[in-house]
Amino acid sequence: MAISVKENLIVGFSDFWSRKVRSIITVIGIVLGTMSIIVVLSLVNGVNAQTMKWMIERGGLSKISVYRNWEYRHSNYVKDYFTWKELKLIRSLIPEAKYFNPQQRHWVRHSKDDKDYSTRIYGVLPDYSKIEEWDVQEGRFISNFDIDQSNDVIVIGTTVKEELFGNKNAIGAVITVNNRRLKVIGIMAYRYMKSNGAFGNENSFSYLNRQTFVPLTTMIKKGSGTDKTQSFTLKAQDAASAPELREKLNNIILNLRRGLPVFRVESAKEEAEEMAENSKMFQIIFYIISVISLLVGAIVIANIMLATIQERTREIGIRLTVGARRRDIFVQFLVQTILVTTIGGILGIIVGLSILDIVSKFLEMELVAGISMIFVALLVSAGVGLVSGIIPAIMASKLDPVEALRYE
Amino acid sequence: MNDIINIKELKKEYRMGKITVPALNGIDISINEGEFVAIMGPSGSGKSTLMHILGCLDTPTEGIYSLNSELVSKIKKGKLALIRNKQIGFVFQTFNLLPHLNILKNVELPLMYAGLSKKQRTSTAKKVLSEVGLGDRLKHKPSELSGGQRQRVAIARAIVNNPTIILADEPTGNLDTASGSDILSIFSDLNDKGHTIIMVTHDPAVAKRATRVIKIVDGLIQDGNIS
Repeated sequence: MAISVKENLIVGFSDFWSRKVRSIITVIGIVLGTMSIIVVLSLVNGVNAQTMKWMIERGGLSKISVYRNWEYRHSNYVKDYFTWKELKLIRSLIPEAKYFNPQQRHWVRHSKDDKDYSTRIYGVLPDYSKIEEWDVQEGRFISNFDIDQSNDVIVIGTTVKEELFGNKNAIGAVITVNNRRLKVIGIMAYRYMKSNGAFGNENSFSYLNRQTFVPLTTMIKKGSGTDKTQSFTLKAQDAASAPELREKLNNIILNLRRGLPVFRVESAKEEAEEMAENSKMFQIIFYIISVISLLVGAIVIANIMLATIQERTREIGIRLTVGARRRDIFVQFLVQTILVTTIGGILGIIVGLSILDIVSKFLEMELVAGISMIFVALLVSAGVGLVSGIIPAIMASKLDPVEALRYE
Repeated sequence: MNDIINIKELKKEYRMGKITVPALNGIDISINEGEFVAIMGPSGSGKSTLMHILGCLDTPTEGIYSLNSELVSKIKKGKLALIRNKQIGFVFQTFNLLPHLNILKNVELPLMYAGLSKKQRTSTAKKVLSEVGLGDRLKHKPSELSGGQRQRVAIARAIVNNPTIILADEPTGNLDTASGSDILSIFSDLNDKGHTIIMVTHDPAVAKRATRVIKIVDGLIQDGNIS
């Protein structure tokens, strides 16, 4: 007795096809809307993926960093550094930490014969290499023996090696740092990560290649002359236990500093989550913009549908005369609108996915497509059809058959 | 004989703002199964209104209308679609075919709303179209046919559901004399086969084909309500 959904789909589809130009223009509008949703979501995905990659490249999610909290104004009552004794105490209180590396950092001139290169030098422990998951490409890294003996050795980054040695061999050579002669024992592996932004293919890790490393004990005894250390890093057993360890460490440090937040203790995992949280806000803003533009589209489509229905008043009258129920008319027009927007949505997804490469090159940003965004785009485009089609469909179904038949 | 249509004290008023305009002022009609009735009257007499009520496109303000022993005047407007679909076939002066559908699809339309399968629809519609002599034009659009042919499509559509009554509103009004008389012959044939036909016209020549003529003036039956 009742006309089936399939029938209505067929009626809706043939309606769609019999008004090609209008349908195609409407479809194009939706294609553009859905396409931009796909691109924007891929962009957000890409930024998130880049952030995650950065985190992993810089020691993974089990890394915890402690450094001076510059938001807290230093008072003279508390020390804004750790002494060697304190660092030993802290280390003994967190035996569950896998690696532990206090570090000092200075800016000095490195020279070899007539060549000079000023850059950052770090005093570190062997654990540094483990925490950062970064080893030498040549020679060896600082050992426990170097620490015990405060050896005059240095490990240099690839840029430093190039500046001072060019193509010549550097291992075993002696360079002068701060008037002290240090033997080069290793060259750190070259680091590269494509920078994310519209500034060309820059290496966002170039600063790492410019660093040099000496044993922390060597730096304290022969360089800086002080054991005051403002930062250290460590590694939890795994990413899952990192937040807990961070909390414990934070309490230990607060106890050592009268409860004042002189230092920040950050876990990479939480930092990553925080970054994801921050990018969520951008995501929401993007969503709102997309929704508004699609809403405008919906209003336009609703307008077109209203015009269509006025044009087709007589047809509606004829359909009512031969036995169409109000529901049939309602469904016919709603299906037609949803069909138009869904076809637009599917095409928009296809176009959006296929232009990702071009957009990616243009913006110099990595775009990452996902399955979920396809569903989002499809759902949104069908939703636009529903929203814009429902009022015209109701109006069509409310027409009086006699009036509709008289309509010219 | 069976009363297929029974109308008593039927009134219809239209409200236009604050003014009430009477269209039918209390009409009694009974029509038997198998009759060919012509309804005549000058414009504004109320014959179109009567036609719409008979066709369940409109509801009376007062009075009783029973069709095939069913009290149609008590049925709500929303439920009349079923009656229109099953019991009534319409033929209009302006054909009222859907221009973007081919004639087969046009004729299938009432069957589609009746919920028949595609297969049943197509075979029934094809059969009826060949009965009116258009079996070889199934894929043609209405615009590709002459007026007389279009009206034959409309007739096919009206009878495809095997309705209780066929209502025709000036079916020859837009046709030349030759195709007009063609169409009238089809109605006569249908009547011979047992279909009940009610035709609105103001052409006495057309009315002559009918077995009975009902004249309406100012919303009242003037003459002819005797069978």
